[in-house]
Amino acid sequence: MELTSDNTGGAVIVKAVGRVDGANARDFHEGLEASIGADGESMVLDFEGLSYISSAGLRVVLLVAKTLQQKNAKLAVCSLSDSIREVFEISGFDKIVPVYADTGEAVSGLGL
Amino acid sequence: MSLELGSDRAELERMAAAVEEFAEQQGWPDGVVFKVNLVLEELVINVMTHGGQQGHAEIDVTVTSSDDLISIAISDNGVAFDPLTDAPEPETTGSIEDRHVGGLGVHLVRTMMDDVNYRREPGRNHLTMTTPKS
Repeated sequence: MELTSDNTGGAVIVKAVGRVDGANARDFHEGLEASIGADGESMVLDFEGLSYISSAGLRVVLLVAKTLQQKNAKLAVCSLSDSIREVFEISGFDKIVPVYADTGEAVSGLGL
Repeated sequence: MSLELGSDRAELERMAAAVEEFAEQQGWPDGVVFKVNLVLEELVINVMTHGGQQGHAEIDVTVTSSDDLISIAISDNGVAFDPLTDAPEPETTGSIEDRHVGGLGVHLVRTMMDDVNYRREPGRNHLTMTTPKS
C-alpha cells in the first residue's frame, strides 16, 4: 500500500494505491493522520488505485472521519471500485462519508 | 486450496497470495476474489485476535470451487465462538460520533456469504459457508 498526498486544491487529496488489510492498517492510519491538515481543512481519499480494503481499513477511515470532525473538517471518498463500494454500503459508511465519482466531484461536493 | 495458519498477522499475506493463485486457476471474477479474500481475512483475524490461543493459533482454511459455487471451511483451536449468534450487530446508521470502531468484520461475513454454518467440536470451532462463483 502506498499513500501520496497533495493539498494544493483547498483540501488534502490522499491517493491510496494497493491493498489495505489487517497486516498494514496501522501504516494506513499513520499515513492518513500525518496527512491531516490545518483545522477546517477537509480530506478526500482517492481510492482509484485501491484494489482491496477490509474492516481493518474501514476502522481507520472511521477514526480519521472522527478526527477530522473534531477539527471542523470533512472527509470524503472517491473513485471506489464496485467491490469497495459494496463494502462501504454494507458497513453503512456511505451514510457518514460522502462517496463521489472522482476527485473533482469530491472537491466541489465538499463546497471547496 | 488448503492452508494451515498460525498466530502471526504476516500469515494474512500468505493467505491472500494463495487465494489469488487459486482464483486465477479457477477463473473467478474479480468481485468474487475480493469477497473471498475479505471474508477469510475477517474470520482469520478474529481468531488471531480473540481466540485466546496466546500465540499458538492453529487455523485450517479450505476453499473449494465447483462450476457454480465456492465453498469455504475454517476450523480453529480458539475459544468457542459462533459468529452467527455470539457477535452483536454493529451500528451502521448513526452519525460519525455515534459509530463504534470495530465489529464490522463478522457483519460483512454474515451479509456477503450464504449458508453460513457453525458447529463446535471438542476444542475446535468449525465454520462453513458458500458463495456463488459468478
